[in-house]
Amino acid sequence: MDARGLADQLRPLLGDDAIITDHQRLRTYECDGLTHHKVTPALVVLAETTAHVAAVVRACAAAGVPFVARGSGTGLSGGALPHADGVLIVMSRMREILEIDRANQRAVVEPGVINLQLTRAAQPQGYYYAPDPSSQQICSIGGNVAENSGGAHCLKYGFTTNHVTGLELVTPAGEVVQIGGKAVDAPGYDLLGAIVGSEGTLGIATKVTVRLTRTPEAVRTLLSAFPHTDQAGAAVSAIIGAGVIPAAIEMMDALAIEAAEAAVHCGYPGGAGAVLIVELDGPAAEVAHQFDEVEGFCRDNGAFEIRIAADDVERALFWKGRKSAFAAVGRISPDYIVQDGVIPRTALPEVLRRIAAISDEAGVRVANVFHAGDGNLHPLVLFDAAVPGESHRAEQVSGAIVDLCIEYGGSITGEHGVGSDKAKYMPRMFSDDDLDTMQLVRCAFDPSSISNPGKIFPTPRLCGEVPGRHKGAHPLADAGLAEVF
Amino acid sequence: MGDVIMEELGAATKGHAVGATEADAVDSMPTHWVAQPDSTEQTAAVMRVAANHDLAVVVRGSGTKLTWGARPHRVDLVLDTTRMNAVVEHAAGDLIVVVGAGQRLDDLQAALSGPGQWLGVDPARRGTIGGLVATAATGPTRHLHGPVRDLLIGVTFVRADGVVARSGGKVVKNVAGYDVGKLLTGSFGTLGVITQAAFRLHPLPQARRWVSVPITHPDGIPTLVQQVVHSQLVPTAVELDRPATGGATLCLLLEGFPPGVESRTAEALDLMGTGATAGDDAPGWWGAEPVADGEVLLKLTHEIAGLAHLLTALDDVCAATGLPAHVRGSVGVGAVTVGLAGVADAQALARWVTSLRERASSFGGTVVVLETPGDFKADLDVWGPVGGLPLMRAVKRQFDPENRLAPGRFVGGI
Amino acid sequence: MAHPDRAGGPASAMTGTLGTDAPLSLAPVPPGEPAFDDHRPPAAALVADCVHCGFCLPTCPTYALWGEEMDSPRGRIYLMGEGLEGEPMTPAMVEHFDACLGCMACVTACPSGVRYDKLIEATRAQVERRFERPKADRALRAAIFALFPHPRRLRLMRGPLRLHQSSGLSRRLRKSGVLQRISPTLAAMEALAPTLGRAEHVPERTPAQGQRRGTVGMLLGCVQREFFPGVNAATARVLAAEGFDVIAPAAQGCCGALSAHNGRETEAQGFARALIDEFDRARVDAVVVNSAGCGSAMKEYAELLAEDPAYAERAQRFAEGVRDISEFLHERGAVAPRHPLPVTIAYHDACHLGHAQGVRTQPRELLCGIPGLQLREIADADLCCGSAGIYNILNPVAARELGDRKAANVLQVKAQLLVTANPGCLMQVASSVERSGGRVALAHTVEVIDASIRGLSVETLGASPTSIPQTASNDSAK
Repeated sequence: MDARGLADQLRPLLGDDAIITDHQRLRTYECDGLTHHKVTPALVVLAETTAHVAAVVRACAAAGVPFVARGSGTGLSGGALPHADGVLIVMSRMREILEIDRANQRAVVEPGVINLQLTRAAQPQGYYYAPDPSSQQICSIGGNVAENSGGAHCLKYGFTTNHVTGLELVTPAGEVVQIGGKAVDAPGYDLLGAIVGSEGTLGIATKVTVRLTRTPEAVRTLLSAFPHTDQAGAAVSAIIGAGVIPAAIEMMDALAIEAAEAAVHCGYPGGAGAVLIVELDGPAAEVAHQFDEVEGFCRDNGAFEIRIAADDVERALFWKGRKSAFAAVGRISPDYIVQDGVIPRTALPEVLRRIAAISDEAGVRVANVFHAGDGNLHPLVLFDAAVPGESHRAEQVSGAIVDLCIEYGGSITGEHGVGSDKAKYMPRMFSDDDLDTMQLVRCAFDPSSISNPGKIFPTPRLCGEVPGRHKGAHPLADAGLAEVF
Repeated sequence: MGDVIMEELGAATKGHAVGATEADAVDSMPTHWVAQPDSTEQTAAVMRVAANHDLAVVVRGSGTKLTWGARPHRVDLVLDTTRMNAVVEHAAGDLIVVVGAGQRLDDLQAALSGPGQWLGVDPARRGTIGGLVATAATGPTRHLHGPVRDLLIGVTFVRADGVVARSGGKVVKNVAGYDVGKLLTGSFGTLGVITQAAFRLHPLPQARRWVSVPITHPDGIPTLVQQVVHSQLVPTAVELDRPATGGATLCLLLEGFPPGVESRTAEALDLMGTGATAGDDAPGWWGAEPVADGEVLLKLTHEIAGLAHLLTALDDVCAATGLPAHVRGSVGVGAVTVGLAGVADAQALARWVTSLRERASSFGGTVVVLETPGDFKADLDVWGPVGGLPLMRAVKRQFDPENRLAPGRFVGGI
Repeated sequence: MAHPDRAGGPASAMTGTLGTDAPLSLAPVPPGEPAFDDHRPPAAALVADCVHCGFCLPTCPTYALWGEEMDSPRGRIYLMGEGLEGEPMTPAMVEHFDACLGCMACVTACPSGVRYDKLIEATRAQVERRFERPKADRALRAAIFALFPHPRRLRLMRGPLRLHQSSGLSRRLRKSGVLQRISPTLAAMEALAPTLGRAEHVPERTPAQGQRRGTVGMLLGCVQREFFPGVNAATARVLAAEGFDVIAPAAQGCCGALSAHNGRETEAQGFARALIDEFDRARVDAVVVNSAGCGSAMKEYAELLAEDPAYAERAQRFAEGVRDISEFLHERGAVAPRHPLPVTIAYHDACHLGHAQGVRTQPRELLCGIPGLQLREIADADLCCGSAGIYNILNPVAARELGDRKAANVLQVKAQLLVTANPGCLMQVASSVERSGGRVALAHTVEVIDASIRGLSVETLGASPTSIPQTASNDSAK
């Protein structure tokens, strides 16, 4: 049975308006936030309960049909890119906040709940959900779990994997499993640690238990403008070197500032080569002391203008430019590629110089936005697909930047995930043995390879392969159907 | 055959393999050989020998937690990591360190302290880094800095088949591929041999103060803990000490910059009420296990707000069995240790553990037996029920299909 | 959960159902004519502006209701793109375009500056011209447009409607829920009809009081003129008090907003030309509008008549002079003294004022300039109330759900008075609040200002003098 046949099987259970087979409607789901890759799914199912999800997955498992889960469809690595022969399981209707448990500092949510929605729900009780990707007004908790999303505040507060204590998971076999809960340190293997960040390849989360963080007593944000990214980088080093761990340090270069200004009129200081947003939070007395230090370091390193947010409104305005940066780039360039590399923070000035050199040589503009505190870069490679050759050059620049990150001992992706977009770079960062070992995890959860197949790993591993010594050739290799690594 | 193995192990470690003595027994399980590789490559060679000869392997650092977990049902080779004790790289500017698994935690902290940094873990048992990760060791500072799994950013390990693999890296932000490091954390050596680990570090605080208060009324403990947990003090640690004989103490550790710490100390004294005192030194019991020799050590977890139910359940079970329990640990997070005195035999312990586990849903946590005197563990389910066990078994089967890494030591008989 | 207005079911022909009655097709769409022709299609360049970031989704009322991509701005833009690529205009496609409220919350939210408003208007015009709707749907639309843009015909309804209301039939019908079962559309229309008061007449010319600062034209509107004449009267008084001669030609007709917003391009152009002619004759400095939907359409006359050489330039000049009443008063500054009006109000941003015209701070500042007045914000303020022109008649069930959400958010604020700037919103929120068993007085922004200038009391606005309104059920009204 193929995916289309599943529609008839699932219709009685899920209802007519949960099944989409119309071609034009299917096409609206053919990509997520990464528009370079588009694949029309054979079938789209909008699940409303765990039972629905389990039923769909079981049906897929029985039919040998691959499935891909999707939240809000805002991912930047093609994690929710559908399979042409597969089912796209859309979780956006499972969006209830099931419980805000202040006493235990936990919330239990359905995966379609929007990140910011959870924070807003917890705020009246003096709590919030700390991982705050820039897309938090629309990205879903389930998507955050799949990608191990970070955000501007993850330097101090960590990523999704540091905030998930429990999951209800529908395994690729269609079984519903409860893992963890509200307490910490569940005995056994840290399955949560494997699942968070697994990009939908180990099953589908249908309930998520997360840690809530106490809203800090004081938050102080400053915006400082520097003539050049070098000086801004030096200020960052000084801040970290003094033992201050800010809640966030974000940097934008001149081109990124230009885009943000055009989009949201954030009013960043004119003529800045780099803008630094530093946010400190915590107990009021600590923040006051740290803030003075930070201000001092900015001045000492050549900041020509420093603005201190007087209230929440101004603070939101400082952040508006940064948070809209990706989408804003659409105003100064018809097309762009956003990269997500990570480098050791101390290498920042040098890497930025190298990126500038690569950009100049290729004649392709690169705007830089990044989490200066943890070295996670977001170079925005700008191009016009209508100009012949520019698309290709942009890809090359993009790849060169990835190589640069690996060269400096960093990572090919800090928070967007590998998905379909960066699978080709995985062998540059990891050896065959490394990738083979990771896929052991995959084989444990999804031996039939139907859960978001084709993502993360460029070459899938056949499960049922026994690692270690082989006595004679493997029958599949013999038959010419597979290769042994 | 034994000679062949001895020879091969010697070749793999360039002469650092010996026959085992009684002292090398793992939790009273006798073993045959001890190998001491000095690098990941040598470790891989050792593991290849083990694979070729179907040897069951248990990894040992300082051996401080070798008796934790269930007794492995077979041990042929002890793989000693203590020669892999180099600090491979300390990038102070990036606040990361890469270190050999055989490095002792105390030595590492000493090495990091020069540039004013530290690894944010302070468990009671100070073994090696490898053991820290493999047992997911926990201490008071996890309240603020998180458990070991949140500090580990990269790992190098050797599989049962001798293949070397890496996961993560040297940078704090990294979502490339699966986080195998987290799977290895707390896996008690049943998935692979950790040879190197990379961690994120924290700056050493400029000021520290401990604020303690004795709590006379039993109901006072959960109430005060809730107040502390929801306050704006942002303590580094929140520790309870409740001896079996009565009289409990709640102690907070406040760290940061001097003016901030002073201000928060005053707030804490105010919050904690009459009898609260502040000092520059930790209380004597701080960070130590609440057991004496011959006593049983357990680890309990609970939902933060489940503390009241945990203490009630403990008191009930102790009263029913006549075994007094000393509770000490991180009640702000929900992970504590318990020392049980006067346990006469395995049956008494089993009864105690079973009774408490029956009440586990009331406090939303687990009861794990870490260490017992003598043979008390023999027929005891030390780990208790575990969710997702079939998935865990599937993971084990993939990583160690021949079941040679500490077989039987882990949950569900893994 | 999706499209409750879509599926057939026991409702009568007049359900306001849109889009397909046919079962979803499993076969690929057969080759047919591309969705859009060359006359003002949705611009490919504007479609290309969308980077698929999804920031618009959480602001979209239909996405909030149904959680599916096709009924989100991002999805609708994608469908437009598909149409431009040559996909035919299928019932499925049309259904999703029709389900859009046109509230433009997405335009406000979009960081890439996508002009979704232009896209949906162009698309709707294409649909109206080229798509054959089911008979029942066509009939309903014809009926709506035969009535609403014609003030004289609306006036003829006043008598019967007043009788319907004063006889108690209206109340009994609503309580019984009979209409809802017969036809959600009829029930919606019945519920939306405002309680009619005395007819107040705005003279052709209202002279300025005190020093004359200028002459302005005033749009009387259609529904506003016949069903909320008090708002028009208040508008004329306030403008006069602030020193402006007010010219309100009685012969003026409809501004064409409903037609323009529903793709009836030729009809809209006709209304626009007539209105421009009327006000050009009057020779005014500006044309002041007290209905958000109308003001937004009139500001777009330049685009509407861009291809008409006889009117293009005049339309440009006319559009530049259009001001919402709150915008105008804020711009010119208040001279008439404000008397205290101790009242707690909740201010509701009409979508066509807040999102379409970007007028948010002006009404708030004007209201807060009244001594004793306390303004409270409504949660989820950006989410449309469900009125959206005639949307609540065409899509009554979806509009009900949105109305319920808005009513709940409004009642939670616990204000004495709900203030808004659009007759459609007023009707929608009133009926939603009543349906929920709650109670709140409603007034137009300009009525509040008028009461303050004239030194009237809070009761004249319908608000009870106590600070916390009763939430008694409607049965208490005897």
